Amino acid sequence: MNEPMADRECPLPAQVDWEPPEFANLYAEHSRAIFYLSLRFLGDPQKAEDATHDVFLKAFKKMDQFRGEASWRTWLYRIAINHCRNLQQSWNERHMFSNADEAIWENAVAQSDSPFRILETKELGERIQKALDVLPDEYRLLLLLIADEQLSYEEVGTLTEQSADAVRGKLHRARKAFAAQFKKSE
Amino acid sequence: MKQQNEFNSEHEHQHDTGQRLNQNTAQEFATVEELLRHDASQTSVPTGIATRLQKSSAEFPRPNRSWWQRLFGQ
Repeated sequence: MNEPMADRECPLPAQVDWEPPEFANLYAEHSRAIFYLSLRFLGDPQKAEDATHDVFLKAFKKMDQFRGEASWRTWLYRIAINHCRNLQQSWNERHMFSNADEAIWENAVAQSDSPFRILETKELGERIQKALDVLPDEYRLLLLLIADEQLSYEEVGTLTEQSADAVRGKLHRARKAFAAQFKKSE
Repeated sequence: MKQQNEFNSEHEHQHDTGQRLNQNTAQEFATVEELLRHDASQTSVPTGIATRLQKSSAEFPRPNRSWWQRLFGQ
């Protein structure tokens, strides 16, 4: 498997005829990445669908503000992260929910360098979601961003407002925490 | 990330069917990132989003093409 998350793999439905057409290209090229981030960050397909719609609508309205300082992908991710965080925050406030203390994950016992062996792929998405759901938001976001081959550590750092070195350090703990949770569901 | 992205399988892929994944085939992912990439590649974007978006965007003025059209392709 050597495939970027999204590379014009999301053809538009035949009835969709966008103006301007460049926006259709933007959607076709990046909608999978944005939908996937929303899906796994929020953990709810309906919310992810709404979030993807809202992110691209914001992008449509703000296209004039795009200055080319970052890639379109990074620009869209920034909108998506802000949007998903706002949704998550308001949900957490309503439910008095908070992620477990980060220190807990320091002691995760699984080794992140051992391979993930999958025998049954039918429920793979569900297992991944369950493992991600219990991670702190920051770890979940870092893992999802770093999985996108189009982003560098520096870009992930910019998107999450930290240095590339900080990203590397936290990723190590995030991988361990994910591995521990994922292997629990074997 | 920019790294070798190996996809290990105990059995041969079924290239002839166009399927990248046989549901009963054991697979191995060396890293969390590989696992997530695979998951992403198997995730479809609901087609309803595009239709909805077209309707929603029609309510707003078109972006000024002359400015960002030059940037497209970056």
